[in-house]
Amino acid sequence: MPAAEVLTARPRPLTAAGHGRKARVLGALLAVPAVLLVAFVVVGGSAMVAAQSLGLMPLVGRPELSTAAYTAHGGDLLVGAGLSLAIAGASTVLACLIGFTAALIMMQGRWCGKLVAAMSSLSIPVPHIVGAATAGLLLADSGLLARVFGAAERWPDIVGGQWWLAVIFEYAWKESAFVGLVVAGTLATRSVDYEETAALLGAGRLRRLRHVLLPLSLPALIISGTIAFIYSFGSYEVAWLLGRPYPEPLPVMALRLYNSVTLTSRPEAAAVAVVTAVVSLSAALAALACLRKIPLWR
Amino acid sequence: MAITLPPGLNQQTLPKDAAQNGLTRSRAGGRILRSATAAALAVWFVLPLLPLGLWIFADRWSYPAPLPQDWGLQNVDSALSRGAAIAFAGSLGLGFVVSAVATPLGVLAARSLAFHPSRWSAPVSGLLFAPLALPAFVAVFGLNVLLVRLQVPSYAGVVLVLTVYALPYTTYVMRLAYAAHDIGFEEEACTLGATRGQVFLRVQLPLIAPALARAAFLAFLVGWSDYLVTLLIGGGSLVTVPLLVASAASGTGNDGIVAVLSVMALAPPLGLLLLLGLTGRRRRGSRS
Repeated sequence: MPAAEVLTARPRPLTAAGHGRKARVLGALLAVPAVLLVAFVVVGGSAMVAAQSLGLMPLVGRPELSTAAYTAHGGDLLVGAGLSLAIAGASTVLACLIGFTAALIMMQGRWCGKLVAAMSSLSIPVPHIVGAATAGLLLADSGLLARVFGAAERWPDIVGGQWWLAVIFEYAWKESAFVGLVVAGTLATRSVDYEETAALLGAGRLRRLRHVLLPLSLPALIISGTIAFIYSFGSYEVAWLLGRPYPEPLPVMALRLYNSVTLTSRPEAAAVAVVTAVVSLSAALAALACLRKIPLWR
Repeated sequence: MAITLPPGLNQQTLPKDAAQNGLTRSRAGGRILRSATAAALAVWFVLPLLPLGLWIFADRWSYPAPLPQDWGLQNVDSALSRGAAIAFAGSLGLGFVVSAVATPLGVLAARSLAFHPSRWSAPVSGLLFAPLALPAFVAVFGLNVLLVRLQVPSYAGVVLVLTVYALPYTTYVMRLAYAAHDIGFEEEACTLGATRGQVFLRVQLPLIAPALARAAFLAFLVGWSDYLVTLLIGGGSLVTVPLLVASAASGTGNDGIVAVLSVMALAPPLGLLLLLGLTGRRRRGSRS
């Protein structure tokens, strides 16, 4: 079920515990510890990073408002943003396609569905750094596949190659399991009746997919796809381990600048971080706007 | 650290043999196609884990050979000599601490949102989900300055950030659980003279226990699988398994050690997942 719907909709009738002003205030106070922590990290962290990027918190010298950090690597910042968008976009599209197919198979029950459900939940607890390491063991030019196919010199540059294939593969692999389980979870609660009704009315397989299953899973698909997109857009370790040194995706560029020893590099790293955050937030807002247009969501 | 987990892990009740219903049963061609797709998907999900199973026992596996030449446990020894045991303990500790902090906070927040709706509910749930939209490294870049100035110990800083990144999951799972939770049971216990503590221990806790276990597992995963927050805020003082995996994988010729460390990083969460699945099944079975 979509997150925001669950959290905001369906207010329960006030019970004995909820009567009276004092009880209401106490009830609202239950959320305060969580809210304080999140506000400190999310709002405080974003504000501080924005201040650093604008030159308001230099390591030495007087604070001075400037956008120098944003223009210092002008071209590279744009190239990095484009590269990150391309990697995250490609892996999200793949993850949604594979995940949706997996969800459809899981829905069918029987051994097919059980097998796919079990295998996909196997990959859920794999940390991304482990996923990246094992994708390297599988796809590198000395990896398992190159050995099995006896490809030797002819093996393409999947790891560290021009097209970032290993990076996209790792994200698509992990996120497709995520998308698949989320969509299957939504479909399981409400699709069977609709499908049977449609079948009774004479709808064929493709029509049921187009007019019943796809619309029913769209909200879950949008939410899980957006989470996957934002994660792969802002994640460091996979692109660092399986990518090539130049051009750099935004998180890799930010981390390199952050760990660099020159005095101007901290604001520059913060500027890259701000650009990453702005794109991520825009993606989240765009997804929410899409969800609002879907009748099912309301 | 924003990891992506299915919020309702283990929770979905997949229809039992929906396809055996005559209306939507597939024809022979469709069945073959479906079996082939299912097999392909199973391979897709498992294939990346396959090299681990071979490398972990490969004492010698020089390049063109499709299978290891010498089998043994040398890689395990090398991994242990790199401090794998200490890192394992560090990861386990971090996972449990994050889980111990983020689960109760998520329970409280979810209870507040479920049973005490107010005009603040929408902004509060929006804020609690905000970590999903903010890459962890951005928050860490900003917070590092603050944490140093406030002299927060680095371990506490790591736990703080990871707790915040686990809260969307714990809150979401508990909110779902409370949506299906009948507060009438608690009220009835109150009318029968139970104290607050008794209501919590004897009525509320048993009812929310399965969701509580799921939420705690997801929060554990956030701490267990984090790399970047531990690296940047921990600053090397806290060594975890993902850190060792990264340092081994970024060098060359460590394939066997990478495999051993990766399996170490996989075993505890997979074990917990299995445990959750088994206890969940028993619970469902005993009820029906």
